[in-house]
Amino acid sequence: MSTTEQAVAPSRKQFDSDRLLTLACVGLPLLGLVLFFLYPMLIVFLRSVTVDDGYGLGNYTQVLGSVGFWRATWHSLVMGGATTLLSVFLGFIIAHGLYRCAFPGKWIIRAVIVLPLLAPSLVQALGLIFLLGRNGVISRALGVEIEIYGFWGLLIANTLYALPQAVMIIGAALVLLDARIYEAADVMGASPARQFRDLTLPAARFGILNAAFVCFTITITDFGNAAVIGGDYSVLATEIYSQVVGQRNFNMGAVVGIMLLLPTVISYAIERQAMKRQRSGQATGQVPFRPHFAPLRDTLMASLALLICAGIVAVIGIVVYASFVTLWPYNMALSTKHYDITLAGGYSSLRMTIVISVMAATGGTLAVFLLGLGLRRLPGTVAQPIQLLAAMPAAVPGMVLGLAYILTFNSTATPLYLLYGTATLIAIINFYHYHTQSFLTLMTGFRQLPQALEEAAGSLGAGLRRTATDIVAPFIAPMLVSVFFFLFMRSMVTLSAVVFLTTPDLSVAAVTIMRLDDAGLTSQAAAFSTCVMAVVCAALLGMKATLALIGRRNRTKGTA
Amino acid sequence: MYLTVHNATKIYGNFTALDSVSIDIEQGEFVCLLGPSGCGKTTLLRLIAGLTELDGGDILLEGEALSDLPARKRGFGIVFQSYSLFPNMTVAENIGYGLKIRGASRSEISRRVNELLELVKLPRVADNFPGQLSGGQQQRIALARAIAVDPRVLLLDEPLSALDAKVRAELRGEIRHVQRSLGIPTLMVTHDQEEALALADKIICMNHGIVVQAGTPEDLYHRPQTRFVAQFMGISNLLPADAVQRAFPGLMATRPATAQDTHIACIRPEQIGMIPDPNGNATVRSISFLGNLRRLEVDSPAGPLVVETHGANPCREGDSVTLDIAPEACIWVADDMAPQPAKETA
Repeated sequence: MSTTEQAVAPSRKQFDSDRLLTLACVGLPLLGLVLFFLYPMLIVFLRSVTVDDGYGLGNYTQVLGSVGFWRATWHSLVMGGATTLLSVFLGFIIAHGLYRCAFPGKWIIRAVIVLPLLAPSLVQALGLIFLLGRNGVISRALGVEIEIYGFWGLLIANTLYALPQAVMIIGAALVLLDARIYEAADVMGASPARQFRDLTLPAARFGILNAAFVCFTITITDFGNAAVIGGDYSVLATEIYSQVVGQRNFNMGAVVGIMLLLPTVISYAIERQAMKRQRSGQATGQVPFRPHFAPLRDTLMASLALLICAGIVAVIGIVVYASFVTLWPYNMALSTKHYDITLAGGYSSLRMTIVISVMAATGGTLAVFLLGLGLRRLPGTVAQPIQLLAAMPAAVPGMVLGLAYILTFNSTATPLYLLYGTATLIAIINFYHYHTQSFLTLMTGFRQLPQALEEAAGSLGAGLRRTATDIVAPFIAPMLVSVFFFLFMRSMVTLSAVVFLTTPDLSVAAVTIMRLDDAGLTSQAAAFSTCVMAVVCAALLGMKATLALIGRRNRTKGTA
Repeated sequence: MYLTVHNATKIYGNFTALDSVSIDIEQGEFVCLLGPSGCGKTTLLRLIAGLTELDGGDILLEGEALSDLPARKRGFGIVFQSYSLFPNMTVAENIGYGLKIRGASRSEISRRVNELLELVKLPRVADNFPGQLSGGQQQRIALARAIAVDPRVLLLDEPLSALDAKVRAELRGEIRHVQRSLGIPTLMVTHDQEEALALADKIICMNHGIVVQAGTPEDLYHRPQTRFVAQFMGISNLLPADAVQRAFPGLMATRPATAQDTHIACIRPEQIGMIPDPNGNATVRSISFLGNLRRLEVDSPAGPLVVETHGANPCREGDSVTLDIAPEACIWVADDMAPQPAKETA
């Protein structure tokens, strides 16, 4: 009995190291959120109301009075709406094919559909130029001149970019439908068409709504596609860029940023509500739906899904192909000469991006893990506002966050200035740009962790640190791995947030691709894109392998 | 007194989960907290474990206040309803975890783990993972894990509720055996009166955040003090005084002088004798055969009664019978479940 007696001290109000540790777990990530999210956002707001003689709404009246702003706003809304309609429609077809129809080769669709996520958004635009541009394969084959720069090119590029999200969100809603409901409908004599109209569509409506808002947000905040293929079709994201980089007019950029924030915040708020509704409608112990082969339906759905996938493969594939063509479109012999990057710096930005991505992934995963761990031990009244704050960054477009950072960290007013121009700051902005998704992913893992496991460890004498490493981390390992690779892959390809933070000495891959394209070195841009995609693909395979390994180990332990 | 809970109070918002509850556990005693869900029994266990904080009152272990000691420093063992074995650790690692934290040597841990596996009759599962064991086996390992560190108090939170009937009865016997042989003071939460009767030295019956009655299993079954306890401890016939007066006037003599108007008579079904009698004033309405006994519903002048008989049964549905109740079988209890206004008019 000696082992336990010494563990109990007789004093009453005694110091408990776990409380301090809990505070640190929550406090450090919270400090990060305040310094690297709330504070920069406050600065961007203050700058938008800064006029020559103090504060005022002068910038707003000036922006709101300009024709260019209204044209960009109108373009953004039209583009957002059109892309949303198209990508949700196509996304529904693919998701319905994947989860409600029976045909072989679904893995191909699953693999192809994620391709656009593996590349910087401007790769879709590059691919379209190689296909449909003045020297594009299709334009030349058909002998017609297609005007790809502008609305139509941007619409296709944006749709390809938003499509994976639409498929994943709508698919998640469709996969939840219980087979027994359909069996009951069959017994009652409802035809498949009726079942689709009366059961499938109503059940998927929150998924569709949610997908629509996500696609809309992605589209109006994307910068890469708009910069490469938008042409004269100016949108809000390119407007901010031209205000800040073109005219060095930071206050006006801040105003446009705040205006861009409005629709994304509203859209994000509605999306969160839609997600809640969908979750609450979820039943436990359901029987998964197994579709049976219906020749007409399945042949049609498979053809449509494969056709859309062929489009994605063509757009991404042509970029890889073009990177090996000696002189597009005149000398189609293959060579690797475009991989010899002639722009100053060469591949250094790719190496730097990998370093930055590892930093963002490591630091970010650790930060959200500590935050989630600490939040579990705080009373709900304290934890809820922090959770809300942690879920907020997703509402802020990358362009706006990037602008906020340059305004905050390029000012000598605070010691934070020391971070300006460092790789660390780029890693930090990448983490906070994707903070919401990382945090929410990990929280779903934490929700599956039974409270009793931690309590059992506690009653056996384990403190917070021991519980975290022995019990919690092994339990949510799959989520930690997912968050790590998610942050790594996003950091590899993101452009909008980092475009303002690169300096002549410090660039990232996506910015280099944009510069190569700007310089007319389109084939080198394709080559550089291919290298980025190779790294991201390797990361994706690494993630799949790690998760499969964990899954197999869990299965042998009987816990899967 | 070994463990004393004094005026423990816990309030969630405007719901009082525990209202000044005081209980004691003696050295080596097996105590059951019994009550319906939401009565506060699990809250009380969690307060003792240190998993929930007290809003008022004290918890003392051998006279020493525990209230500000976190769970991990109390040196208690706890077993949850949901097994709660660490899925990433083997059975041996699970059992040895508490010892490892206390810095025990590897050989010491392995010796203790083997000893405990023998004790819970699972000597060959040391290298298995929890997911590879049945529910009953997992709960035995959870028990072994809890007692591995020689806990000062063993806390069991509905440990048998997730198991099916046969395994439950088996494990019940083993918990009793282990607790007796090690002499660990044990507090178990359950909503199953049969479990409490079979295991406990002392039962603490709770309802609406207060202790209604505490005593030996015999006390609670045969001498309930209130209608709630009488009903919760098994089937009972509860008759108001006027019904007793009408049907069994002889039993009125057992009514204590101090009894209030709201006191009612409690008669256990197995205490009612039944004689077939064509002139009897009671009629058998239905009979259910339950294997070891028969349960009959009988219409009597006092109203419908439940009667249980063992052995051969000469009665059929519709037969007339005479009922016979010994005076000592009639217990008068306070009607703590009566509507409140009735008390005021009384």
